Amino acid sequence: MKVIAWLAGIGTLLSGVLYMVVSLNRWEWNRALFFGLIVLIAEVGLATGLVLRRLARLEHRLGRVEDPEVRNILRETRPPSRDRFAWLRESSQQMNVFITFLVGGGVLISGIAWVVDRVASNTTSPAGEESLGRRIERISYPAGGLLLDDITVLAQEVPGANDDQIRQLLRRGGRP
Amino acid sequence: MTKLTPGRVVLGAIGLGIGVVAVLSLREATLSTHEPVTGNEMELVVSARTEGGEQNQTLAEMVEAQLQTCRLEVASDLAGPIEPLGDGRFRAVLTPAMDETNRRQFRGCVEDFMIDHVQINVIQFTVAR
Repeated sequence: MKVIAWLAGIGTLLSGVLYMVVSLNRWEWNRALFFGLIVLIAEVGLATGLVLRRLARLEHRLGRVEDPEVRNILRETRPPSRDRFAWLRESSQQMNVFITFLVGGGVLISGIAWVVDRVASNTTSPAGEESLGRRIERISYPAGGLLLDDITVLAQEVPGANDDQIRQLLRRGGRP
Repeated sequence: MTKLTPGRVVLGAIGLGIGVVAVLSLREATLSTHEPVTGNEMELVVSARTEGGEQNQTLAEMVEAQLQTCRLEVASDLAGPIEPLGDGRFRAVLTPAMDETNRRQFRGCVEDFMIDHVQINVIQFTVAR
């Protein structure tokens, strides 16, 4: 493949030069310019290929160890590759301190939360109910109800009768 | 540093000689050297073909445009209209006659890429009278 590419580049260059000279000889300036452009492109391509080939050769030469004995020594003393996932295997086979702390901390926090919940539910509900009772006491109905029958009202006229609530209701109703 | 051997010196000298001869030959071929001409007019017959041009462009006007452009490079001018001969061929007469340099220059111009979508080849280009 490389040989084909090199041959194509060299062929393009030589053909371009040939046609450029022929066009110049025939006074065909535009054709000569066109083929000159082809020559320039092929020249740049070939020069780039030559430079890259030389660089690759230099890299290959620098990276190659000539002495096989030295190469064997280097290969034998090569350090083992690091096991980058050892931590994963260790954590799956034995108890890890992190997991212990995580689970223990979770249990401890759950216990504390349970205790706080129980204490709060036992203290806040009765106190709240007591406070609410005090607040709605003002608008509570009287113990005997709001309606008085005629017998009860007439009974207040009887000497010795004394019912404060009935008298209070009678005063609200405009009766003395 | 590359060692300079006699063989390399000879090869270099040969290459240099070939290069100098090539450049001088090209210079000679492209140099305008005018001389007296016998004859009054030139007869030109060309064949032309067009491809991919605009629809309102005819081959005749393309040929005329190219010949008018190229005649500006030489001392001669078109004498009369360009006659269509059929089958993509055209005939023109130019006066006065051209010397060898002008003929090559005019012929090269006519066959060059001057106008898009038209290719002209010179069939006959001789001194008529």
